Amino acid sequence: MTCLPEKTDKKLGLLIDLNVCVGCHACAVNCKEWNTSGITGPMEDLKPYGDDPSGVWYNRIHSYEFKKEGEADRTVYFPKSCLHCEDAPCVTVCPTGASLKRSEDGIVLVNPDVCIGCKLCSWACPYGAREYDTTGGVMQKCTLCVDKIYDASIPEERRVPSCVSTCPAGARHFGDFADPESNVSKLAAENDARDLFPEMETKPVNQYLPPRKREKHVERALVHKVNNAKDALIKWAKLDFTG
Amino acid sequence: MSFVLVAVGLLSSTAHLGRPERAWRAFSQWRTSWLSREGIMAVLTFGPIMFIGGNAYLDLGLRSMVAPMAVLGILGAVATLFTTSMIYASIRAIPAWHNKWVVVGYQVYALASGGVAYVMVGGWQHYQITIYLLIAALVVKIATWIHIDRNRGKYTRESALGLTDFGKAKPFEPAHGQKNYLQREMGYELNPTRRMVMRWIALGLGFILPAYLLYVGFPLAPIVALICLVGLMAERWLFFAEAEHVVRLYYDRDEI
Repeated sequence: MTCLPEKTDKKLGLLIDLNVCVGCHACAVNCKEWNTSGITGPMEDLKPYGDDPSGVWYNRIHSYEFKKEGEADRTVYFPKSCLHCEDAPCVTVCPTGASLKRSEDGIVLVNPDVCIGCKLCSWACPYGAREYDTTGGVMQKCTLCVDKIYDASIPEERRVPSCVSTCPAGARHFGDFADPESNVSKLAAENDARDLFPEMETKPVNQYLPPRKREKHVERALVHKVNNAKDALIKWAKLDFTG
Repeated sequence: MSFVLVAVGLLSSTAHLGRPERAWRAFSQWRTSWLSREGIMAVLTFGPIMFIGGNAYLDLGLRSMVAPMAVLGILGAVATLFTTSMIYASIRAIPAWHNKWVVVGYQVYALASGGVAYVMVGGWQHYQITIYLLIAALVVKIATWIHIDRNRGKYTRESALGLTDFGKAKPFEPAHGQKNYLQREMGYELNPTRRMVMRWIALGLGFILPAYLLYVGFPLAPIVALICLVGLMAERWLFFAEAEHVVRLYYDRDEI
């Protein structure tokens, strides 16, 4: 049913710490590993060893360089997957009811047995969280590993999404944002958590922690170091080895 | 004629689906989905059109019912167009669609081109109305483009990333080596020269030339309809080509 639930009992989601992420892509790889044989798999993987591979990923790792006057540049690795929005536009546009948001935990899913592959949901999502499976003719997306986090046959500490359990840096946290005492709610409250694209009015559940601000003296030393390195490089390029 | 056009439109709409055999399911979510509402309204509008057509061809002699059925048919057509326009206008992620001009435009382009089709099937007696409609369509189309062009650049990559206080962001290492679904589907780059050419074709052939030809009483109405059709196809092409999606902020665009 494409009506959004008035309120979900839980708001399960991810808190991603951009200050910690090292951009190793392990989360994306483990996501594909788990989900390709998961409830909404297989995940398309066309010509994986050819010259033009393409396929579906529920999680992709972008990276950006930030430049600001008077500060040393920053590299920010930016993993992006479905944000399981409270006001998910991808759900309400669906003409068949394949796209849904669960009232018990807020997870946004696509029912592959009902999807007609009209792709409208992927156009409605501002974040590019949905990718189309050309083989199956249906839309696919992050399931928050719904087939792992509730699996009673695995030890309780492993019942987290694959991207979270595999992150070697500890940049990804999983929990219930509706519970103010949860790990993710506390981390979000203590660390200036951000919504992606607030103008889109989607109320994303997933939150991102920004890179930490550097202390003034650290910033100054860093700018100084960068400038020195730049000067040294220019001198070397001119084969000038004086003082 | 409208019966055939609606039927062709509905059938071809299933052709672009990944699973066309499940298209019937699209009638189920009218409570939230404009796409679902469009399908339902289009099918409902069949009723009165079929009645009028059947009455005429089978000579049923139910003449008193034709006028109310025609009113129902018109209301159905207007409602269907409204639901169609709302499919696009409801998508916030595409600023070129998320505005009232899209909704107004759908009605007025349909009325104008419908007027041209009416002249073609023998309705010359009211051709002045069609000319006024074509002029209205022209004005709305230009207003739409002014709106689109003036509202570019409202959304930034920094906002998309939730990091507006770290200076300017530009892509560093790409997230993937080859284009993915998102870039293939939403990454069309319209070059400015082509935009200009297509805009002139849309205005010139869609509205200006048909209005002029009707004004001077050009005798071959089917030719006028054909010219109008070509112009409107350019207009439709632009509608999609100019639909820049904000997901591009994560890729190649600084602002949209």
